[in-house]
Amino acid sequence: MSIGKKKKEKEFVPSQPYTKGTLAVQIIMTLAAVLFIAPLFIILNYSFKGKRELYLSSPLALPESLNFDNYAAAFKKLDLGTTFVNTLFYTVTSVLILALLCGMTAWAIARCSRKFFKFAYIYFIVGILIPYQALFLPIYMIGFRLNLTNTRHGIIFMYVATGVSFGVFLMNSFMSTVPLELEEAARIDGCSVFRTYFSVVLPLLKPAMATLVIMQSFQIWNDYLLASLYVSKKQLKTLTVAIQSLFSAQSSDYTTAMAAIVISVLPIAILFLSLQKYFIKGMTVGAVKG
Amino acid sequence: MKKKSLLSLLLATCMTAGLLAGCGNSEAPAEEAPAAETPAEESGDAEAEAPAAESSSGEAVTLTVLAGQSTTDAGIEDMIDEALAAKYPEVTLEWECVDWGNDFQPKMQQYMQSGLPDIMIGKAQDVATYAPQGILGEIDASYLDKGLDAARENVTIDGKTYGLVYNALYQGVYYNKTMFAENGWEVPKTQEDLQAIIDDCNAKGITPFASHMVDTWSIGNVTMQFMMNDVFNNDPTWGDKFRAGEVSFSEDEAAQTAYTYNKLIFDNTYPETFSTEQTDCDAKMVLGEAAMKVSGSWSIQNFLDIDESFDFGIFPFPNQTGDSKLIFEPNITIMTSAATEHQDAVNKVLDVLTSDKELAVEILDYTKTASMLKDVTPTFTNPSQADIDAYAADGMIVDVTLGNNQLVWGGFQEENAKDIAAWLQGDESFEDCLKASDGRVDASSAN
Amino acid sequence: MNEKKKISYMEKKMSRQYFLMVLPGFIIFTIGLIVPLVLAVRYSFTSWDGMSAEKPFVAFQNYVDLIKDPEFRNAWWFTLRFTIWNTIIQNVVALLFAVALDSGIKAQKVYRTVLFVPCLISALVVGFVWLKMFSNVLPALNDVLGTNINFLLFGEKRTVLRGLLIANNWQWIGYWMLIYLAGLQSVPGDLHEAAKVDGAGPVSRFINVTLPMLAPAITICVVGITTGSLKVYDLLVSSTKGGPGRASTSVIYQTYTTAINGRQYGYGCAMSVTLVLVLLMVAMVQVKGLKKKEVQV
Repeated sequence: MSIGKKKKEKEFVPSQPYTKGTLAVQIIMTLAAVLFIAPLFIILNYSFKGKRELYLSSPLALPESLNFDNYAAAFKKLDLGTTFVNTLFYTVTSVLILALLCGMTAWAIARCSRKFFKFAYIYFIVGILIPYQALFLPIYMIGFRLNLTNTRHGIIFMYVATGVSFGVFLMNSFMSTVPLELEEAARIDGCSVFRTYFSVVLPLLKPAMATLVIMQSFQIWNDYLLASLYVSKKQLKTLTVAIQSLFSAQSSDYTTAMAAIVISVLPIAILFLSLQKYFIKGMTVGAVKG
Repeated sequence: MKKKSLLSLLLATCMTAGLLAGCGNSEAPAEEAPAAETPAEESGDAEAEAPAAESSSGEAVTLTVLAGQSTTDAGIEDMIDEALAAKYPEVTLEWECVDWGNDFQPKMQQYMQSGLPDIMIGKAQDVATYAPQGILGEIDASYLDKGLDAARENVTIDGKTYGLVYNALYQGVYYNKTMFAENGWEVPKTQEDLQAIIDDCNAKGITPFASHMVDTWSIGNVTMQFMMNDVFNNDPTWGDKFRAGEVSFSEDEAAQTAYTYNKLIFDNTYPETFSTEQTDCDAKMVLGEAAMKVSGSWSIQNFLDIDESFDFGIFPFPNQTGDSKLIFEPNITIMTSAATEHQDAVNKVLDVLTSDKELAVEILDYTKTASMLKDVTPTFTNPSQADIDAYAADGMIVDVTLGNNQLVWGGFQEENAKDIAAWLQGDESFEDCLKASDGRVDASSAN
Repeated sequence: MNEKKKISYMEKKMSRQYFLMVLPGFIIFTIGLIVPLVLAVRYSFTSWDGMSAEKPFVAFQNYVDLIKDPEFRNAWWFTLRFTIWNTIIQNVVALLFAVALDSGIKAQKVYRTVLFVPCLISALVVGFVWLKMFSNVLPALNDVLGTNINFLLFGEKRTVLRGLLIANNWQWIGYWMLIYLAGLQSVPGDLHEAAKVDGAGPVSRFINVTLPMLAPAITICVVGITTGSLKVYDLLVSSTKGGPGRASTSVIYQTYTTAINGRQYGYGCAMSVTLVLVLLMVAMVQVKGLKKKEVQV
């Protein structure tokens, strides 16, 4: 957010005169932004309200006082110490494995023109077209056949398995940005395929890796279906699964649930806000005609 | 560039933190849990050592527990852990708490193929589902004897008892006592009595019923209450006959009557019932916006949270013959695996549950439920207790497990409730709604 | 001759190494997704209840039943409407927002952040939040404004889709907007200048210069939104629970209740298979169609 950064951005967007049209757009967008942020305010607002306040005063009224009881309750009810670390562990591990795996796979597919690799590409693409949610029944079944349910490695395995195809697709669409000459030079120097990949190609794939890491992190951090099927042991639960139990049927206090939401969203929001530029750069790489 | 390094630093920190936290458990296979690091386990591993006395009470054991809970139960696991640690520190429980309505049965299905947890906590109706599969262990009489006899009936199959019923819920119509007194209403016994109150309410601008139909489970629940008094009280094997093709919803008037009570409620509740959740509904009841609510003990927690001095009673929803019984539901029911390798430890848990009265009172007070153990009475104020006692004294109480065994919840009652909702909203005809229930006949039994 | 042999030897060695690089991903993917796919097909021909040991073979009976099953048809009808509306609304609004942000307004970054934040939240949470919005918060707004707008969108079959679309679009518009925004910002300024010199107005410049450059972004967004909407489940779990009645039951939701709560595993698998087939078809058509457009420009 430093001034230096801002200047840099300006270079890309040629500054335009501020006209009536822009003013209108500015107003419309401000309205849109307010509408978009309103539910977030509501969450925050609720999270500070007492149970009685909830029923006796309007939902729009501000809380009587900044009451952190709900946060304390949410902390305890969610077993936050455990669920938070679990979610983080699953997310980070899966994403790192994915980054490693997908880069390798996609590069090999892009560079080797044998039939198998062409087949492999289509094979992987099938996975994007069929989201795992459509197959949750047999995925659940195979999970406990292989003793993967209620284990850490099990859910990480599934996150990797279900994320691989998108990763390969993304990385593959990126391979054209890796100049062949560099690779050839490395090969002439006697590098094996592996060396070439890790020392020459991998560094060039960093932006693509960032895209992958970001997109998958969101998905895994926020995943509900797979986590609800795979981990239900108390010490293995993820945040979303724990939060769901606060929402469910006879739950009596949704102020606690609101506090829980704030707690669960905060880390990823902070991560986003602090690395926003990097995020966006990574996320949108595939969308720009290269 | 700075941001990049920040990112990598962050990732590295996350990774390390995650790994540190994760390692402890991730390497331990599912069967042996964190407690595996205790000396007893080690001696088991080292074969050279003399065989440790297997049954010695000091041996650390970790039992797996699958608990199907409703949200009002969530939290009792910590109480049990604490009580267990005080009496039998060598026994540790590894909890897997899931939502009973949605996830208990799927989990059980899964474990039936890969091996059951040592202890399962569900509802009384689960015994009828799983005991016939031969997977549940018989509960020792010494523990059962500490519970009320009434608790045994529906968890006993062929003379063997497979479930320990811990507490009970009551279901019926909760009513605002103050409002009833002010308006001179008597507790209704017949449909006519009820209609008179409804009419008086409408005349005075009071909403007769609070309801929360956004929760389909609530429609399913009240429908079973109606079915109990209008169908099962006269014909306890109605479900069997239904499966035999002798009766059906499309033809049985009593069953249809039970369905139509939903309409009575829907017509006499506030218009936004399909957008109202239980908490908001209970609040309306407490704030005096409605006179009655067909519900169960799970509402008490809310009632008292909102207003400690809210005065309410309970009566069974009147049936056609005017002889409705108050509905009683054995709730937390402890089952054990027939194949457990740690029967001793399982028994220790049963011992704590049945003999630790402090624990029992703590749980009952927390869940606002009634005791199914002898000589244990919860201490929370329950304004409806006097009513419950009166019905109990007259023998006007019926166990809903009967109905739930005849027509199961998951896949049948629950699905029927969706059709009832569609019918109430005018999106489906009553005939179609009944037909849909008939069409689900194959899913109506657990076995 | 010798040279050629050497090359082919080299090639062989290399392709073996390439093969080794593909292998781990290949295996994991196969076990995690393809085997389940095969299993789904296999179980869909049985009347298995998910519990008992025997899995009675019933051939195509499940599929025959599916065609006659009004609940299943209803689930598809809901899912398709949800998908189509989402694809239209999200793409159009996201693109409009992107254009608006790219039009040189001030504090672009702030808007970008605000619009993007909802997609950081899990769909499960989004469902819950909007349930509260529609049933508690917005009706209170009526009291404040003295209006009588029907905000109880989740309470009626007629309006539940609208409510869910609002929730879903609130969550995702910012995400797709970012992708469009990146696409827009990659359009070289001199292209616009050239078009301007040629006398093209802003609209024609947008259609002729900007849109073609956005083709890859459009492909990503359309495919992403469609597949994302067809698999809707999390959002429903915490908001409408498929209701009222079955008015917002999606295919996956229906599969879940049938197979897991209703113990009809084989039948549920047949539902999954139909969803997979539709997903495959839709995606193939879209990718082909959109790719063609990309190539043309």
